[in-house]
Amino acid sequence: MIPSLELELRRRLGDEQVASDPLDLYVFGKDSGLVRGEPGLVVFPRNTTEVATIMCLAGRHGVPVVPRGSGTGLAGGAVTTGPHVLLVTTRMNRIGPVDVENRCVWVQPGVINLDLSIHTTPFGLHYAPDPSSQSVCTIGGNVANNSGGPHCLAEGTTVNHVLAMEIVTSDGDVLSIGGPAPDPTGLDIRGLMVGSEGTLGIVTDVLVNLLPNPPASRTILLAFPEVQNAAATVSGIIANGLIPAALEMMDQPMTIAVERFANAGFPTESAAVLIAEVTGHPSAVDAEAELVRRLAVSHRATLTRIASDEAERKRIWLGRKSAFGAIAQMNPDYYLHDTVVPRTRLVEAIEKTYAISKRHDIPMLNVFHAGDGNLHPLMSFDASVPGVMERVDAAGRDLIEMCVAIGGSLSGEHGIGMEKRDYMHLVFDEMGLDAQARIREALDPDGRLNPGKIVPQGSRCFDFGRPPPVGAWV
Amino acid sequence: MLRLRPTAAGGGLGLSLASSADGVSGLPTATPETIEEAAGLMANLPAGRDRIRIHGGGSHRGIGYPVTSDVILSTSGLDRVVAWEPDDLTVVVEAGVLVEELEQMLASKGQTALLAEQPGTGTVGGAIATAMSGWRRYRYGPIRDRVLETTLVSSDGRVVTAGGRVVKNVTGYDIPRLATGSLGAMGLIAQVCLKLWPVPQASATVPVESPEEALEVAYRPLAVLETRGSAAVFLGGTPEEVAGQAAALDAEPTTGLDWPDHPAGAVRFSVRTPPSSLRSIVDRLDPGWRYLAQFGVGEVTVGAGEVDLEELGELRGRAESLGGALVMLDAPPSVAGAFDPWGTPPPSIEIQRRVVNLFDPGRRINRGILPGRI
Repeated sequence: MIPSLELELRRRLGDEQVASDPLDLYVFGKDSGLVRGEPGLVVFPRNTTEVATIMCLAGRHGVPVVPRGSGTGLAGGAVTTGPHVLLVTTRMNRIGPVDVENRCVWVQPGVINLDLSIHTTPFGLHYAPDPSSQSVCTIGGNVANNSGGPHCLAEGTTVNHVLAMEIVTSDGDVLSIGGPAPDPTGLDIRGLMVGSEGTLGIVTDVLVNLLPNPPASRTILLAFPEVQNAAATVSGIIANGLIPAALEMMDQPMTIAVERFANAGFPTESAAVLIAEVTGHPSAVDAEAELVRRLAVSHRATLTRIASDEAERKRIWLGRKSAFGAIAQMNPDYYLHDTVVPRTRLVEAIEKTYAISKRHDIPMLNVFHAGDGNLHPLMSFDASVPGVMERVDAAGRDLIEMCVAIGGSLSGEHGIGMEKRDYMHLVFDEMGLDAQARIREALDPDGRLNPGKIVPQGSRCFDFGRPPPVGAWV
Repeated sequence: MLRLRPTAAGGGLGLSLASSADGVSGLPTATPETIEEAAGLMANLPAGRDRIRIHGGGSHRGIGYPVTSDVILSTSGLDRVVAWEPDDLTVVVEAGVLVEELEQMLASKGQTALLAEQPGTGTVGGAIATAMSGWRRYRYGPIRDRVLETTLVSSDGRVVTAGGRVVKNVTGYDIPRLATGSLGAMGLIAQVCLKLWPVPQASATVPVESPEEALEVAYRPLAVLETRGSAAVFLGGTPEEVAGQAAALDAEPTTGLDWPDHPAGAVRFSVRTPPSSLRSIVDRLDPGWRYLAQFGVGEVTVGAGEVDLEELGELRGRAESLGGALVMLDAPPSVAGAFDPWGTPPPSIEIQRRVVNLFDPGRRINRGILPGRI
């Protein structure tokens, strides 16, 4: 770190907002993925002006800035690739007044996802994206990764719920993007910012859309003798014109781990457990739940239980959302993958996942957003055992290549960051990568924001000269 | 698909002089039949005569600043349905496919792309280039939420694919979302993958007195629309859901969705505001104008025979002060020449300019059409 930059930041922000001792740099050197970096300096701004100050000062010293929320990201998106300034947004955690009439609210990036929905509950409103990490992850991080969650099947991911934002650009300018009215004129820069992992600007305030709480809901727990039966039920539900609020699947190893941990009443003898939730008008949810139940039975379901009350519903969801905590009982380390395949290839993807697990001798437990084909194979291992990390890496590569080969994509909701950057060529050709690099160039020409993420080096390669004219024409 | 295509008679470049695709400009028209052909054609236009105007179905040609061009590129030859995966709820189509034909095809298996309900001659490419979301947006969100993958052809001949054919994806920057509403400025939108929805089993149109009150009662209806003198709630879902909601609205429903007509007029424009301010805009509309207001969304589309520019300017001022906009959709030259089609450019205009200039070096496609004359 350049000492004069640290001095200047301490002078402008105060010592309590700047950390540089080795322990701090170590703690903030990682997110929830596998890679580790070491920031040069960690700063904790409290408002937009301070973010702009940091951006300007760092820019003047030629030091890149990397934004970070709670660090729950799984792809190294908030890990520095050099001695950069790590800008932690957790002290920017103010929730503005709820605009009940327009069903929206301004929130700062450090607000915890679950805190927002708790805050809006008295108004009968909620914020739809609900990642499993929602009690820890921040709205800023959700925006950076376009986070989803079990309930994004019907309601969409973060990008569908962000109306406007304020950002600090790579030049340190404060810019307002989007607005409370539909379809702001010109290009949808707001939509571009979502999922851009802090590489195009630093989000300092977000206007999020809120949804009315459903007047009624039914949560149905289903169990099947084969994974195929659960997948066929998912397809059957959708083919019947029903898009439930959620359709979540867990395989047997995951169910066993979760049940041991959460006692949610999941049947551990079944090959697959499916959680379906239907929401809507009170007159409709019973009929929809019955349709789901009937379809499940036609696909050999051995258990079809509709949660009888809110307590049971909450228990089921707690079980589902503690999946990642549950596996801590098995091994000291885990790595959660995030890929997506066309829904119709789900069974094939799961079978191939089991084969990859066996080939590399790395246990994999599966929990996934079955409705949108979003897989989360979870590898459980002990990193201190020699050779294990190499096997984890190799298995991860096989998983990604398998998903892409059957028509899928690199990430459904966790982002590319550093860990998947070098797989981008699997889904983009040279011109596609070049276009990605052009976006980066348009918003951050000097590489001041979160360098080394999303776009592989050397992507910007197409600069077509004007071809010679091909002779006379009409 | 039905193919309607003027014969190419312009030599090696596939340009036809026989008739302009837009029927008025008299400019030569190119009608490429493949994406590669479109790329080659645009890249090989001679310097100085290489400004391109994209033409789809012609239904939105009044939008934006007037474009000066040397060539028209018609998408009518790009009319293939490339892939339809009903079980994945995705469809891949080329830009020139007619919205009406696509929706008919999808309806045969109970699906919809939620494109405009009365598209006329509109094409899929046109709907996406103009980001026209249709009336069911209150329930399903804007069209941007449904464009999963785009293939853009730049004027220098690059074929750029971004996004993916899966319903959930965060792999790289969201170029499909940028392209939606770009009016072709980032490149010809040649092919798209759209997310589909199942058509609900039941639907109904329920006439109501007050759209605002209906929004309080109905839980997430498809739409709540008001035209001059009438308003209705549009419901979709299981038969139980529709019956229950209609009963709560305490009115006699009609089965099916009886969409009102687009407000016609020589001058057409759209006013966008935060949803709660829509009534204050509707109340300011001239009594002689037709309108269709989307309550809960915050947009009113207006059709007028003639307009007083001062009145229009005041309306725009009001919309912009609320954080919205007044956007012209169509106007005769007398109005178009005197009234800015977009109004005040958004604060991000310089970022937009940089993006567009990197995607279309030399700004040859629909040059100057966007806010800020990008």
